[in-house]
Amino acid sequence: MTYSPSGDGELQREFVERWRDNAYGCFSSGHKFCREVCPVMQVTRNENHTPTAFHANIVAMEQGLASVEDVADDYVHCTQCGACELRCPNTLFTGDFYRHRTRTVDVVKAMRALMVATGNEQPGYRTWNERLAEAHNEPVLGDVPVSQEHVADWAAGLEIPVGGETILFVDCEAAFYRTSYPRAFAQLLRRADVAFGLMREQWCCGGPAAEMGYVDLARKHAEHNVEDWRAVGAKRIIAPDPHDYIAFTEDYPSYFGDDYDFEIVLGVELVAELVREGALELTRAVERTVTYHDPCRLNKRRGVHEAPRALLRAVPGLTFKDVDHVTQWSYCSGGGGGLPVEKPQIAHEIARRRVDRAAAMEVDALVSACPWSERPLSDAGALEVIDLFELLAHSAGIEVGGHASAEVRA
Amino acid sequence: MSAVAFKSAVDEGVVEELRAIVGDDERVLPNVSSRVNRTRVPAPFPVHRWADHMPDVAVLPRSAEEVSEVVKLANRLRIPVVPRAGGTGLSDGAVPMRGRGGFLVDVKLMNEIHEIDLTDRTVTVGPGINMLKLNEQLRPHGVFYPDDPASYPCSLVGGRIGTGGWSLLGARFGHTRDLVISMQVVLPSGEIADIGEGGGRKLRKSSTGLTLKHLFTGHQGTLGICTEATLDLVPRPEVEFAAFFAFDDYMKAWRTTGSLTKSGLATLAGVVLFDEWKLRYLRRDDEAYIPQPPDVVSVIAVAMYGTRAEVEPASKVIMQLGRSEGGRYLGDEISQGDWASRHDRYATPLHGRTRDGQAVPMSWHCEDAALNYSVLPQVREEWHAIVDRYINEYEVFDDWGMFAYTNGAHRPWADYLVEIDVGIWEQRLDDETWEAWVRCKREIAEVSLKHGGSITACHGATREGDAELVPSEMGSSWEVVKRIKRALDPNNIMNPGKQSMDEAYR
Repeated sequence: MTYSPSGDGELQREFVERWRDNAYGCFSSGHKFCREVCPVMQVTRNENHTPTAFHANIVAMEQGLASVEDVADDYVHCTQCGACELRCPNTLFTGDFYRHRTRTVDVVKAMRALMVATGNEQPGYRTWNERLAEAHNEPVLGDVPVSQEHVADWAAGLEIPVGGETILFVDCEAAFYRTSYPRAFAQLLRRADVAFGLMREQWCCGGPAAEMGYVDLARKHAEHNVEDWRAVGAKRIIAPDPHDYIAFTEDYPSYFGDDYDFEIVLGVELVAELVREGALELTRAVERTVTYHDPCRLNKRRGVHEAPRALLRAVPGLTFKDVDHVTQWSYCSGGGGGLPVEKPQIAHEIARRRVDRAAAMEVDALVSACPWSERPLSDAGALEVIDLFELLAHSAGIEVGGHASAEVRA
Repeated sequence: MSAVAFKSAVDEGVVEELRAIVGDDERVLPNVSSRVNRTRVPAPFPVHRWADHMPDVAVLPRSAEEVSEVVKLANRLRIPVVPRAGGTGLSDGAVPMRGRGGFLVDVKLMNEIHEIDLTDRTVTVGPGINMLKLNEQLRPHGVFYPDDPASYPCSLVGGRIGTGGWSLLGARFGHTRDLVISMQVVLPSGEIADIGEGGGRKLRKSSTGLTLKHLFTGHQGTLGICTEATLDLVPRPEVEFAAFFAFDDYMKAWRTTGSLTKSGLATLAGVVLFDEWKLRYLRRDDEAYIPQPPDVVSVIAVAMYGTRAEVEPASKVIMQLGRSEGGRYLGDEISQGDWASRHDRYATPLHGRTRDGQAVPMSWHCEDAALNYSVLPQVREEWHAIVDRYINEYEVFDDWGMFAYTNGAHRPWADYLVEIDVGIWEQRLDDETWEAWVRCKREIAEVSLKHGGSITACHGATREGDAELVPSEMGSSWEVVKRIKRALDPNNIMNPGKQSMDEAYR
């Protein structure tokens, strides 16, 4: 990356030009309702780490008061959970008429891209993405490298074919760290006679790279994956991981335009449909008391909160103590948007608070539906964290196998 | 160090001293972004003069002791100190006056709940806690803290105390100053003082010594920084009742407001009167407005809270009084829905109109006053006439109408918080239009004073346009104000320049 001050100025001007009106929509009302739902702000209480600051900084840049370098650190303080956009009164009350939604997640992504382009990279993000560029999956096992050779080890013994019209996409955290999660999901589909295959060469979806500002790297991974899908004649991609689902439905269409014509299926919605239609029977009683963590990318980013609840209510023997999805706008695991890569202590504190809330409900487990949330929530230590698919597989009488940590890698 | 020069005596050595006091570099922030983001509140802001209002360094203390040491340092070096909690106020209390800079003491990290006392019904908190968050914690105990401003989801207890906040439920439960039982304050000298009724931390009334509590609520950060507050806990109401009535004439609505507030119903929490300009604005530009027939020109909202035994029979009286002058009940859906969304609704305006009807992005300014019931119709006409003149002269203003809200704590019959909402095309502000806005504000305030009112019921008369009228409003008591300010803050470091208090040092 070459650092060119004059070029930077031009990039900054383009960025400001692109985002100033959106920023002004926040700046001009300035009511800050987003703050107390922001998981990062709840921990740091620093006004710089608020969605309002993310927008005000742009107005300040337009006024010549701040540069990318001045504001870069602010934008690292975000999990891209989307709570602020939902809580914004501008979204709530002017959305219908103007088709307006205050864009804050996109602003954070764009600013991080500008940071990369102008030599204001964060060291943690840089290392993380250098390793992604080498291994084509994220370095989710810490010092232990991940590799193409082992990317499908999670499926050992399941004899899933490669290719076909329907592809099951399993990368990174699910492929290497919490392998019980894709194993449970794949076996649930099997049980319901859903046919699917794996990719020939499974790369990361590229979404996290885009979230951290590494636009070219993200796109390279997207291009590889789409090429791999096309090569086997795939028409339908199943994404059990909500982060992958966001990448396929928000990032990929922006890369490929009308050529991108794959049907993207969200895992939890597919399983809910299979259970509803009777294709998948949950017969084994699970005598436990649980609450549910709404993963941000399902609940806040995409409004998916009914399907997982319907599934939990379908498990025999289970006592489900719910916290409504709107209350959970202010909850987060801290695991998203690259926060644990660059600000692990804040991420950990967010997870600790989330699990403490669950523990106070006198439950014996916290169920989530996103592998990226399950590691930080488990690490918080106060409560067992179970993945929804794992729980459902158990109730369907499936012996899942795999592991829920890095332990079995060797 | 920074693209924007320091204005006060802050330099690298002073920043080092601050770091030594708080022992954490993350909580002493002289960087541009930290200053830029603590320069503004939701009041209209001269964007073109942003740098003039920037503090020199932000400090995020965690304890009263840290606040005390920071203030002592400021006092020693004669550096201005501006306290900031949520920064959600409507009159610049929490930002430095132009050209002054100094320390911005941001108390958001002091957001602990220290004690919930369900026996003597108090909760003791840090000033950085938000009321909605506090009530989430109180809910399981069957109690709540009923300070309910429009900014309920984001404003913080410390700012509510500093500005003397007003609550939508004040007629029933009181406003901020009625709900604060005692507090801990760091004085401009850096001394830490416990302020309450007499010496008791949890006593709601005493006659010992002087009643200092009210002196330290609503001083706009000019007398000290609240570092802890003991607040009243109210039984969670069993029932909420809301009713909206529509009128074809403002005077009918005004008379109905009078009947409702004089009804003697103790569960009455608030009455809100919308005027003709407000209805016109809602119809014209508020996409969340539920269309009403054209003859609806004024609306009243009424809310009651209490036990079922009280509210159910009282609601029948409300329904009768609401209709007594031809008011038409707008139905349960609008009544309950609009009342439930009262906080979100206040932030809606994103756009207004130029005088030829062009929709443009505008920010919202709310100019408030405290007025008696008798003068509401007349003040409304004079205020709109002022704004209309400025609309005709400049392209940047729009009239978004008026609200009048019951303002007397527990006694709602004669006092109103009156607001006129003015849209301002902030991106077009320059020195000329900003000065025009300041003149407009001043004229609005002068009308309030002429009619025996006060410049502000809750926003604060902190800055230009309002501040220069504070001495004339205070009249013969202005000398007392100045003596108190001088005695407590001999070096004029605490939020200097606000409310014309510089006069105390001349």
